[in-house]
Amino acid sequence: MLACEPLTFESMVGWRIIADPDAIDATPWPAGSRVVRISPDDVFLIGAVEPTVPTDPHAIVTPEHGFAGATLTAERTADIALHHIEWMLPNEGARPCVAQGQIAGVPAKLVLHTDGTALLLVACAARHELEERLA
Amino acid sequence: MSRVVYDGTPIEYQAGDSLAMAAVRAGAHPAHGGTLCLAGDCGNCVAIVDGTPWVRTCQTPARPGVTVRRHPNGSHPSPGGPEHHSQVTVRHRTADHVIVGAGDSGVAAAMAQRDAGHEVVVFDAANGDEVVGVFDGPSLVVRRVDAIEHWHAHHITLATGAAEVQPVCPGNMLAGSYTPRAAAALQAAGIDLGTVITVGHELVALHGDGRVREAELADGSRMACDSVIADLGSAPRDVLARMAPMVPVEVVGSAAESHALPPAPSAGFVCTCGKVTVEDLEGVWAKGFRDLELVKRASLCGVGTCQGGMCMPHLRSFVADRSGVEPRPFTGRPAARQVTLGEAAAGSHIDTFRRTPLHGEHEALGATLDKFGGWFRPWNYGDAVEEYWAAREAVSLGDVSTLGKMLVSGPDVVEALERLYPNNVHDIKIGRSRYVINLNERGHVLDDGMICREGDTRFLLTFTSGGASTAEMWVRDWIETWGLKVHVLDRTVSHGAINVTGPLAGELMRRAGVADEDRPKFLQHRHLTVAGVPCHVMRLSFTGEASYELHHQIDRSVELWRALMELGRPLGIKPHGLQALFGMRLEKGHVIVGQDTELDSSPRRINMDWAVKMDKPDFVGRAALARTANLPDERRLFGFTMDGPAPLEGSVIRVGGDVVGHVTSSWDSPLFGHAVLLGWQKREPHADLVQIDGRDARVSPVPFYDPEGARARM
Repeated sequence: MLACEPLTFESMVGWRIIADPDAIDATPWPAGSRVVRISPDDVFLIGAVEPTVPTDPHAIVTPEHGFAGATLTAERTADIALHHIEWMLPNEGARPCVAQGQIAGVPAKLVLHTDGTALLLVACAARHELEERLA
Repeated sequence: MSRVVYDGTPIEYQAGDSLAMAAVRAGAHPAHGGTLCLAGDCGNCVAIVDGTPWVRTCQTPARPGVTVRRHPNGSHPSPGGPEHHSQVTVRHRTADHVIVGAGDSGVAAAMAQRDAGHEVVVFDAANGDEVVGVFDGPSLVVRRVDAIEHWHAHHITLATGAAEVQPVCPGNMLAGSYTPRAAAALQAAGIDLGTVITVGHELVALHGDGRVREAELADGSRMACDSVIADLGSAPRDVLARMAPMVPVEVVGSAAESHALPPAPSAGFVCTCGKVTVEDLEGVWAKGFRDLELVKRASLCGVGTCQGGMCMPHLRSFVADRSGVEPRPFTGRPAARQVTLGEAAAGSHIDTFRRTPLHGEHEALGATLDKFGGWFRPWNYGDAVEEYWAAREAVSLGDVSTLGKMLVSGPDVVEALERLYPNNVHDIKIGRSRYVINLNERGHVLDDGMICREGDTRFLLTFTSGGASTAEMWVRDWIETWGLKVHVLDRTVSHGAINVTGPLAGELMRRAGVADEDRPKFLQHRHLTVAGVPCHVMRLSFTGEASYELHHQIDRSVELWRALMELGRPLGIKPHGLQALFGMRLEKGHVIVGQDTELDSSPRRINMDWAVKMDKPDFVGRAALARTANLPDERRLFGFTMDGPAPLEGSVIRVGGDVVGHVTSSWDSPLFGHAVLLGWQKREPHADLVQIDGRDARVSPVPFYDPEGARARM
C-alpha cells in the first residue's frame, strides 16, 4: 500500500438534473461546466451556470451542494481500487465513465478518466468517514 | 543447522523443512498424534505458531526462532496472539481466470487458458497461497504471505487434486502413522522413520503407548513397527468445490473424479479435528438422525479444522452402510484454511454513520451525540428538561437535517402518489401539505411523513430519518412497476433542515426577516429567505408547538443556525436534542414508526384509520386492508399515564398478572408531573387499568397535550 497523504476534499457546487434520458442526451450544457452522468436520467453538473433542459418540461433542475470531491492521481486511484474497492472497476477501454459503489464501505462515485486519474465524489454527510478510512 | 522452539525446547531443522517435518525429524509429533498427511488436508498437525493458534504446521516453513506450542491435549486453544491486534492488509484484485491448484490438471487448465489469450492466475497452497473460501461473484479469498486478497474472476477453475484417505480404527490418534505421500516426503528429507510397514484396508487397529508399536490386521496378526504407512486410496480434495454448489466454478482433475468409499468404520476417531468417534456416530444414528447433513450437525463430525476433508469418506461410508444409500457430500463452509480474526476482518467496515452539516455546532454546544437512523444526532445539550421548557414556553431549534427529502415531478406524478399513499393527494393545493403514512402490500405501516405540493406536477415528499433510504427504493420500485412517468430525486443528504419550534417561533421568524403576512400558516409551505438564507419553509408540528421547518442547501446550514441562535437569544432560545423532542412528540401522541409500531402494524392497530381513504380506487396496501377490515383484531396501541418514574421502554404490560403487551415509548413529563406512555395491548377485552413494573397505569386518551392542536396553529 502506498504511504497515503490525506485526501483533500472540497465542496462540489453545481446542479442536479433529473430528466428523461433522451432529453438529457439532447441538452447543451453550459460552457465550462463538468458533466457527471450518474445514471441515464440523472446528471450532476459541476458549474455555476443554471442549465435548462428544453425538451423535458417536467425535468428537475435544482442546485446541488451535497457532494464533496477529491482529485486522484492515477497512482492513488489504483491504490484505492486495490485496497478499498471490492467491486470490479470499468476497464480502461470503457473510460471515461462514472463508477459507483462502496469505497472502504462508504457509498461513493468515481469519475474515471482515460489517463487513470479520477474525481472521487462522496456525500458531504459521509465525507469524514471516507477521509478517515482512506487515510 | 537452524532451530525452532517446539513446546519450549529448541529443535533443529534442515533447509526445506516445514515445522511439522522438523518436529518429526526431532522424534516428536507436531500435535498430539494422528496420521500425518503433510499436505494441508487434515488437522492433525495444527499448533500455535508465534502466538497464532490453529496453524497447519505442515504448510508453514521452518524459520529460525519460530516458536511452536501444541494445542492443549483434548481441548481448544484460547483465541489470541499478536496477529489479532494488528491490521491485516487487504487487496482487491481481478483476473479473467483464476486456477486453484498447480498440479497436473491445474497446469493443463492454465496452459489452455493462456493459449486462448486469457489472463490466468494460479494459486497453490504449496507456494504459500491458501484459498480459504469461494463465494458468489465468483470470487475467492486467498491468504497470501503478506495479505488477504479478494480475487474477482470471470472464471474459476478448481484443480485441487485428491487427498489421501486416513485410517479410522482403534489407535488412530497415535503418533507414527503416515499417508504414503507424507512418508515419502519425510524419507526424501532424510528423516529416519525406523521400522516401517505399509498396510491397506486390512488394518483393524494400531497399538502403542503414545506412538505406534504394532499394527493389527484383519486376520488377527500383529506387526511390530516404528511407523505405519496407511495406503487407503484417495478422495477428492473438494472442500472448495463443496463450498460453491451454486457458484459457477469448474472442477477438473482428481477433484472432480469419483473415488470408491473406504469400508464403513467400526471403531476409532472418524473426525480427528473434533474427536468424534464411530461410537458417537452410532449414538446420533440411534437417536434418529439418518441423513448425512443431520449426522454431521448432531455429531459435529465434519465441522472442524479440515471441513470434512478427512472424515468425509468415512462418514459417507458410515451412512451408506446403515441406510443402503450412498449420500452426496455435504456443503463445505469457509474457511477452508484457518484464518485469524484479523484476517477474517481485513477490509471490512462498520456501517457508515453520517453527520449533518451542523455536527460541529452540536459539538461546540456540548451535545451528547448518538447514532440514530444512520446519523450522528444530538441526544441532548446537557439538560433535556431545559430544552423541553424552551420549546414549550419560548423557542427552540432542532436539527432535522436527517429527515428524508424527495422531489418528484412528472406528468404522472399525481397518479403515482395517489397509488402510493392511502391518503388523498389530488386535492392538496399548491403551497399546502398533508401528513401521510405509507403502507406495504400487506397494509402494514412502513413510514410516515409529509407531502408538500409545489406545482401541478411537482411535490416534495418527506420521510422519517431512519426510513429515508428504504423510502427511495419503495418509491422508485413502484413507479417503475407501474411504468409511470415520474422523475425522482432523493435530496436527503444535500439539504439541511432546522426546526424552529415554540410559542415564540413566529417572533423569531419575524426577527429573521420574515414578515407576518409571508409566514406560512399551519400545513402551508413557502419559499422564503430566512436570516439571509433561501429556505423552503414548512409549517407543521411534531413537538406540539408552532413550528417552522427550514429546508435549505447544506452549505448554508451553519450560517442559518448561528443567525437564528443569535436572533433568538433575547427570546430565551435553546437548541433541543432527540431526548426532549421524543418527549414532546410523545405528549402529543405522535408515533415514531419503527419504535411504536411493529412490522405488522396496520393503521387500525395504531389508531390511524383517519389517514386512510378507503374510498380511493386503489393504493398500495388497500386490498389487504379491505380484506382484513372486518376481521377481529385485538392489538391496539394505547396511551397510558402513571406516576413516575417512567418505566423503561420495552417494559412488560400486565393485566392481572398476564402479559398483554409492552411499552413502546415513555417519558417523565415535566409539564404534567407524571409519566406518559405509549404501549400495546394485544388481547381483548382491553383493560383501562394495567400494571407496569408492579405499578398501576391508566389508559388515557391521546394527545396528552393540547388535544385541540391550538398551539401548533399559533
